[in-house]
Amino acid sequence: MKTKFLTLIAAASLFLASCSKYDNFDAPELTLSGKVVYQGKVLGVRNNGPQLELWQDGYPLKSPIYVYMNQDGSFSAKLFAGQYKLTRRPDAPWLQQATDTIRINLTGDTNLEVPVTPYFSITNETFAKSGNTINASFVVNKVVQTANVELVRLYLGKSVLTDQVLRDVRVDANISSLVFGSATSLSADIPDNLKNLDFIYARVGVKATIASEYVYSQVQKIALK
Amino acid sequence: MKKIYIAFALLFGLSMNSCKHDEWLYRESKTTITDEQLWNDPNLITSLLANYYDRLPSLHGVFNTGGMTEIDDAMWSGTRDQNGRNDFQYGNDYGRYWNYGLIRDLNLSLESINALGGKLTPAQKSLFIAEMRFIRAFVYFEMVKRMGGVPLVTKQLIYDFSGDPTPLQIPRAKESEVYDFIYKELEEVKVDLSANNGIATRANRYTALALESRAMLYAASIAKYNSLMAAPITTTGGEVGIPASMATDYYNKSLTASKELIAGPYALYNTNPDKGANFYDMLNKKPVSEVIFAKDFSLGTKVHRFTYDNIIKSMTEDNEASSAISPSLSLVESFNYLDGSKGTLKDKDANGNYIAYTNPADIFANKDGRLFGTVIYPGTTFKNNPVRMQAGVAVYNNGAYQLTTSAVLGGNYTDGQIWTGFDGPKDDAVDVSNTGFYIRKMVSDAPAASTRGTAAVNWWPWFRLGEIYLNAAEAAFELGRPEGLGYVNTIRTRAGFPANSLSTLTNDIIRNERRVELAFEDHRYFDLKRWRIAHLVWDGTETDPNAVVMGLYSYRVVRPGHPDNGKYIFARVRPTRFRRARMFRMANYYSSIAQDVLNNNPKIVRNPFH
Repeated sequence: MKTKFLTLIAAASLFLASCSKYDNFDAPELTLSGKVVYQGKVLGVRNNGPQLELWQDGYPLKSPIYVYMNQDGSFSAKLFAGQYKLTRRPDAPWLQQATDTIRINLTGDTNLEVPVTPYFSITNETFAKSGNTINASFVVNKVVQTANVELVRLYLGKSVLTDQVLRDVRVDANISSLVFGSATSLSADIPDNLKNLDFIYARVGVKATIASEYVYSQVQKIALK
Repeated sequence: MKKIYIAFALLFGLSMNSCKHDEWLYRESKTTITDEQLWNDPNLITSLLANYYDRLPSLHGVFNTGGMTEIDDAMWSGTRDQNGRNDFQYGNDYGRYWNYGLIRDLNLSLESINALGGKLTPAQKSLFIAEMRFIRAFVYFEMVKRMGGVPLVTKQLIYDFSGDPTPLQIPRAKESEVYDFIYKELEEVKVDLSANNGIATRANRYTALALESRAMLYAASIAKYNSLMAAPITTTGGEVGIPASMATDYYNKSLTASKELIAGPYALYNTNPDKGANFYDMLNKKPVSEVIFAKDFSLGTKVHRFTYDNIIKSMTEDNEASSAISPSLSLVESFNYLDGSKGTLKDKDANGNYIAYTNPADIFANKDGRLFGTVIYPGTTFKNNPVRMQAGVAVYNNGAYQLTTSAVLGGNYTDGQIWTGFDGPKDDAVDVSNTGFYIRKMVSDAPAASTRGTAAVNWWPWFRLGEIYLNAAEAAFELGRPEGLGYVNTIRTRAGFPANSLSTLTNDIIRNERRVELAFEDHRYFDLKRWRIAHLVWDGTETDPNAVVMGLYSYRVVRPGHPDNGKYIFARVRPTRFRRARMFRMANYYSSIAQDVLNNNPKIVRNPFH
């Protein structure tokens, strides 16, 4: 009887031991992180909006690895070591550049600045509170000469995730009077539900007619008290 | 030893002998049907066609409860594991449909019936061929409206083992070419389909016209409204996007088909003087007068569980899940008042104070009859029983109403009267309305229809005359012709509006009519797409009542000594279970093509934004 138990235990431990062989694949441990930049300046995007795409050659079934971006234009992905191709997808506020692949040889944790060509860029943005109003001043620059601007908007929100989707206030600029390359200003009244907060967040977004996403300034925290 | 030789000789002789009876090896199988047998037997072919009809595709249609809760008409209030329907954004592949398996089956059948079906009468043969070509056109329409131009494959693709697969790699046709193909096919087969006239579940002449009417309207509106976008969605090869110059021709084709249908043997169902009940009966009672083409169900053989899924909580005859679809306040408000005013519900007066109603149904009084036929709201009835809907009580306290709800459905408040009704609505609850509304349309009132054992047999309307009237109205309006007004007024009269209730048409009126008339019939997603306003209506804004599914909760007033005591007030709410506003991106106008399709066929062009 005893031997029988022993055999059983031996068999079970063998079974368990063999399992570990199949279950415990190494998790990807290298981090590819970075930012999307234009002329050295990080572009703000919608959280959970635009994506980059990673591809790896050498495997029979090809499918992309989507890399989502934070609202400040940064991204990160856990990967295995290897050769990757990074492409700038459409459905973003910048040119697709599908054939202009960035090659990445990942051997250790890597930080990468991905240059993109946005249709428009926002520079010199300042936000100031005056009384019950937030005044924004900024410059919209045309980067892609064929692009047309559809909307220029000022957003106020109660969290750092403030954009076209998550926002409490949205004010549209008058597009017909917009002059590229020179200062534009927009102002928004702070609504009642935000008045009593300690601080709110403000941001400017610009949408090109051809793009489905906005390019944003970085989120600015404004103290109300 | 000798014996062994003899035995061998005998065996040898036996085997020689048996070889002569080789017909034994060629007997007809009793378990398989050969191609010759199939294509010469009308009964077998009909049975095969039943399979093809059953595979007709839809996105949110054919009682797809989950799909119906993925747009702005409703939210999901069933089991929590499917709450993703309230917390998602349309993915790049949303609505992807690339079914060349079905196309190949149809092409194979068309080739086989021509090659082998010698014993069929010419009339039989031409009818079967026409039906299969209709189904193929239907499938191509489903593909083009979701993917844009797709490869037009009209015969079997057979690999020749030469090592060169390029003859099998067919590029995408232009979007307009696919619509032209659909029109041409339907024009060619509609005469042969006449033999099926009067049958609502197989393609007949009028079914072909109905598909023409819808498909040409889609092509026309894409041609027109895509070009009006600030940046039209196109590809250089025309796989996506139709030139604006083609719009008029498509509108004319749609209008011609619609007019022939309206002049045909169908009539709007209008037998019940109660216009709301009439609208409900129109889909529930299987009237052949209005429904042109339907997917039928029958007790014992083929049933569906739409009623089990969606019946109002207190009337379910089964245990477990019910009430999965909670229609939205924006849908309810899109039903206008019979005096022609906008359908916005009057829950508060100009000063922001609640308006108290004696009966909960009073706030919905004098609305479009289709509201009753589509949605169950507080104070109405279902199966001739009053519904028990009340979100809670509103206690007047220190100059304001405190809205309180009971922890259990059907509980009583301290005054001994109902606190929260057995039918809810209840926020953040499962299998009970989360918006204050239930769906009535297509939820069967037959006995035991909400049980899983019996289930429901009301049919799914692929095409009905009500849609054709609105197709005709839209096409006529876009062409600048006056008759569109009459079509819309006819539809509105059936819904209880006075005759000639409108004197002018606008795009907004036509679009709103489509929303209320065709709610939950798998139209709205595609309508908003072809008008190119989906990204504006469902812009993902968390504060927008169109992108967010809102609810309207009814409360009984507890304010002793005040005239409003015992009356009902209504509060607009955003249900907790609705997590993320509907967000339709430009990339959703055409779904992405699957990576394996792109890998297999290098000639396939990607859709824009993908």
